[in-house]
Amino acid sequence: MSTFVIGYYALLLTASTAAAYFNKRQPFMMLFSLTLVSFIVGIIGGAGALRAIAFAAAALALAAMVSYAFREFLINIVGRELGKELRTAPLTAAFGMFVIFVYAIAGIFAPWIAPHGEAEVISSAFAPADANMLLGADQLGRDMFSRLVYGTRNSVGLALTATIAAFVMGAGAGLLAATKGGWFDNFMGRFADVIMSIPSLIFALLMLSIFGPSMPVIIIAVAIIYAPRVFRLTRAVAGNVVVMDYIEAAKLRGEGTGYLIRREILPNSTAPLIAEFGLEFCFVFLLVAGLSFLGLGIQPPTADWGSMVRENATLISFGEITPLIPAAAIALLTVAVNFVVDWMLHRSSGLKE
Amino acid sequence: MGDILGLVGKRLGLGLVILLIISVIIFFMVELLPGDIAEAVLGQGATKENLAAMREQMGLNQPAIWRYLQWLGGALTLDFGSSIVTQEPVMSVIGARFANTLFLAAYAAVIAVPFAIILGVIVALLRNTVFDRVANVLTLTSISSPEFFLGYILILFFSVKWGMFPAIASLSEGMSFADLLERTFLPALTLVLVVVAHMMRMTRAAIINLLASPYIEMARLKGAPPWKVIVKHALPNAWAPIINVVALNLAYLITGVVLVEVVFVYPGVGQALVDAVSKRDFPVVQACCLIFAATFILLNLAADVGAILTNPRLRHPK
Amino acid sequence: MPKKKEVLLKIRDLKIQGYSDETWVDIIKGVDLTLHRGEVMGLIGESGAGKSTIGAAAMGYARDGTRITEDSSIEFDGMELTTATEGERRALRGARIAYVAQSAAASFNPAHKIIDQHTEAPLQYRLKKRMEAQEDAVDLYNRLRLPNPAEIGFRYPHQVSGGQLQRAMTAMAMSCRPDLIIFDEPTTALDVTTQIEVLAAIRDIVEQFNTAALYITHDLAVVAQMADTIKVLLKGSEVEEAPTAEMLSNPKEDYTKSLWAVRSFESPQRFRKEGATPLISVKEVDAAYSAGPKILNNVSFDIHEGMTVAVVGESGSGKSTCARVITGLLPPQKGEILFKGEPFPADYRQRNKDQLRQCQMIYQMADTALNPKVKISEIIGRPAQFYSGLKGAALKARVDELLDLIELDPSKYYNRYPPELSGGQKQRIGIARALAAEPSFIICDEVTSALDQLVAEGILRLLDRLQNELNLAYMFITHDLATVRSIADEVIVMQHGKVVEQGPKDDMFKPPHHPYTDLLLSSVPEMDPNWLSTLLEERGVDNLGDAAAAKIDPNDAKIVR
Repeated sequence: MSTFVIGYYALLLTASTAAAYFNKRQPFMMLFSLTLVSFIVGIIGGAGALRAIAFAAAALALAAMVSYAFREFLINIVGRELGKELRTAPLTAAFGMFVIFVYAIAGIFAPWIAPHGEAEVISSAFAPADANMLLGADQLGRDMFSRLVYGTRNSVGLALTATIAAFVMGAGAGLLAATKGGWFDNFMGRFADVIMSIPSLIFALLMLSIFGPSMPVIIIAVAIIYAPRVFRLTRAVAGNVVVMDYIEAAKLRGEGTGYLIRREILPNSTAPLIAEFGLEFCFVFLLVAGLSFLGLGIQPPTADWGSMVRENATLISFGEITPLIPAAAIALLTVAVNFVVDWMLHRSSGLKE
Repeated sequence: MGDILGLVGKRLGLGLVILLIISVIIFFMVELLPGDIAEAVLGQGATKENLAAMREQMGLNQPAIWRYLQWLGGALTLDFGSSIVTQEPVMSVIGARFANTLFLAAYAAVIAVPFAIILGVIVALLRNTVFDRVANVLTLTSISSPEFFLGYILILFFSVKWGMFPAIASLSEGMSFADLLERTFLPALTLVLVVVAHMMRMTRAAIINLLASPYIEMARLKGAPPWKVIVKHALPNAWAPIINVVALNLAYLITGVVLVEVVFVYPGVGQALVDAVSKRDFPVVQACCLIFAATFILLNLAADVGAILTNPRLRHPK
Repeated sequence: MPKKKEVLLKIRDLKIQGYSDETWVDIIKGVDLTLHRGEVMGLIGESGAGKSTIGAAAMGYARDGTRITEDSSIEFDGMELTTATEGERRALRGARIAYVAQSAAASFNPAHKIIDQHTEAPLQYRLKKRMEAQEDAVDLYNRLRLPNPAEIGFRYPHQVSGGQLQRAMTAMAMSCRPDLIIFDEPTTALDVTTQIEVLAAIRDIVEQFNTAALYITHDLAVVAQMADTIKVLLKGSEVEEAPTAEMLSNPKEDYTKSLWAVRSFESPQRFRKEGATPLISVKEVDAAYSAGPKILNNVSFDIHEGMTVAVVGESGSGKSTCARVITGLLPPQKGEILFKGEPFPADYRQRNKDQLRQCQMIYQMADTALNPKVKISEIIGRPAQFYSGLKGAALKARVDELLDLIELDPSKYYNRYPPELSGGQKQRIGIARALAAEPSFIICDEVTSALDQLVAEGILRLLDRLQNELNLAYMFITHDLATVRSIADEVIVMQHGKVVEQGPKDDMFKPPHHPYTDLLLSSVPEMDPNWLSTLLEERGVDNLGDAAAAKIDPNDAKIVR
């Protein structure tokens, strides 16, 4: 048995006994079950598997520490009211905010962060990582890391624009339908039903086949596909507000539709709408990534995560993880947004009970 | 009972109308092309004679309405015309592939549905425990990952590193069923991972929603043991939401399948669709869209009808 | 009461905490309770007093998000519930302690027949065979005077009316002949006439089987009929406890006295000025919600300047629909509304600003009537700004003036939001918003029914004062006859969308009555502990509630009884 394995078990056992001694039930249960799992995994997978567990645990611990520190940081820089809200955020949500923050920085300052240009060929195809190229080269010999950084701007930017477009259309129509009611409401509801009866990816493919894959087409197509979903939700959220007596009071006062939406309905729907925006962003982002992966998204040589996966996919069969990195970048951002949204939804539903 | 039949009939009619509208959208969207199909296919270098011949061959000289009716009439008999690229009938391009896709989706569904519902109920019962939180984080991670990410991870470990399953899900004539299951295991597993997470979360939400009902508290205060509260009092009312969850996710499966087929080079209709899109083979694209949309609508219809049929208030009217 | 022998339930120093804002807060702050076999104890208090939480705790049950602290003691028939295992506690529920919930419609499982839910507990505890249990159920339905006792159990819950369901639930609680039943506001959701049937049935059955009960309610008059002893609660603590008769005649604590003293307020009766044009005239109005059945059927009445007209009726009588027709939210199918003799456009969207201003509304639920995201100053200021075009300092002065009118300190409330206010304060803000439009007519839709009695009293006094100062006319929609008695000048009684009787208040409370008015008046519980018994003797068990109401036609002649 190597010193690593001995040290590994010694550390875990000491920590679990300490937790037991100080009567910390939850940490003890977690540490000790980890120990038991390690026994089994260690026997099957050997020291390598234990190393993987140790690595994963360390990564988790690091993520937890970063999230904790980032939450404290946020609490200190925002106002008192918001700080109080933030204090209720679980570590997962804080982690999500941290990731979103990092992505935003990477996207905004891409040209300053990336060591090379996004279309710049600097070495041979699939060159391994070295001091100059953090993650190696892609199939044309471009720097993977630089393309990843630029990809933040392109992929996220495209998804964000499309989501905003879908949101403006969907939420606008939803608020109007809820306030106006009557035939407009009915018609829009039916219309949304029809659009939503076509699977999103399939509908996107249909539109792209007709109009060709270009940025404006993608944005419009995605907006058309997701606007009905936003409409449905906004209609439901606003629908819960318009039945309130204060809306009736405002209507009887003679207020116009604009005032009703702006002053009475919107302030009472913002929380669910923001959460919904995050959720829709995730769907849009995954759809756009899927399209790029199919070669129907942003066209080369613009760096884009979905197409980067596709272009480097052959490396997988050699056991290289290079194509997984852009895919992981997509997953990480989606997870991050979902973590934040989950917390927000939990909070708004928790207040109801 | 008359009420129920009426409602079901109404719902079926609505589904039919929606399908009809969708067929209109799918057909006439192609008409929105700048120029027409012939120009789009032949490109800018085409001569006038070529264009005219193409138009003649595709019947583009007839009014659009007439062509739509012809197309719709053909679609009813599964005749979607011929591919522009290969000139073969569309059905011979996608017919067999569609069966393959259905098989893959069914394979994933058979594993995912029972698994997800059971897990969802368990998580709902263990709500607000550590187990629930871990499940929450895991499922969120799973639904946040693109299908191709999960697919390549599975390939990396199960086929490249450990060599347990093939990375490419190719099919051949006369394969044994066991072989078939093994070959398609990784694509099916990818789909299962995504769908189970979605389905689990929705089942959990549906059950928790139900457990807040006063009649559940009443059952508890009558001394019913926890399993009985779930089985006798919650479940009979939970069918509608659960059927809904299943239908929604099966519908999700049929789109997720497109990406997974590309990752595993599986000979399904998704591959053909992506291929046709990049070659602008409109008849194939239109046929695929209509078939997918029809499946989607059918599933939603089934869910709604199921919800109507299991609603005690409708089953036993006043 | 001579029943007090053996102690059945002994609660000592009960503390229950609820989880809110990330911390545990005490909801019940150390309550003691002793209940003997066969004794009925009424737990009474305003909303937030913790009555219902104590009721659940008596079964060893803590709802989600609450917990019973460890130093509490709940002893049921010698068994300590706080330390018992969950299995032991569960074995008591349904068998020895049963529960009757507030809303029977929501508490019966919609998926099973009533009788199957009834027999669930006896079958589970193996007390009876299925057939025996069903026979017993029919017997209980019979004793509780349910119509068609042999057949009603085989229906599904949604096929049975609310009052009948509530009795079926009482029968279900009796299915194992428990030692103790917790009644958690069993009649609060019912109309007064239906309430009588249920009260009479519950009292009978509890007496027949000599079952002990905790009867939880906020209605003093109801508890006076039901309980042997009364315990008064306030914000999670006990105020006092005494036998019913003693408690009613001689309450010791100030809080209890103040509860007893309400409804002392009565505004003097005003009369119509001869020959004056009515402010609002409802003329032969028929109304229905899109293609639905007719809700209003040929309704006509007048409301005169500066007077209060109370519209009385039970749920479904069409009184709120009347208000919607007058405000223009629901244009009538037939008939019209006149304002000072001039026709009012039927749809509010066709009315001009001055017409809209004249007719304001105050709502039942102050929570939903005020936008939680808008400051008080804007809620009140908006109508002033909208109708009178006030701005800046003039607007602020007007808002301050309005806040003064409703007896709230302007400097304190100007910048606050509705969720920071209590129920009564919110209702006052609702009144101020209506006043800000400078109307001549205000519709008050059940404005006091969601409030605790003391607060409601304050609102009524305020409304009366404002009426005198500003010469307002009120249309007062209510189901509470005590409210009518204290504030109305004229009364309109409605049943099934028709006006059955109208006239000055003093005449309405004196015979002769229309039979429906008579039924309504006689159904309102009074503080006298013998009221229910007397009523049952007078009217007979079969001439109450739904049964009696069904026999009445709106066109019946007045009767003297």
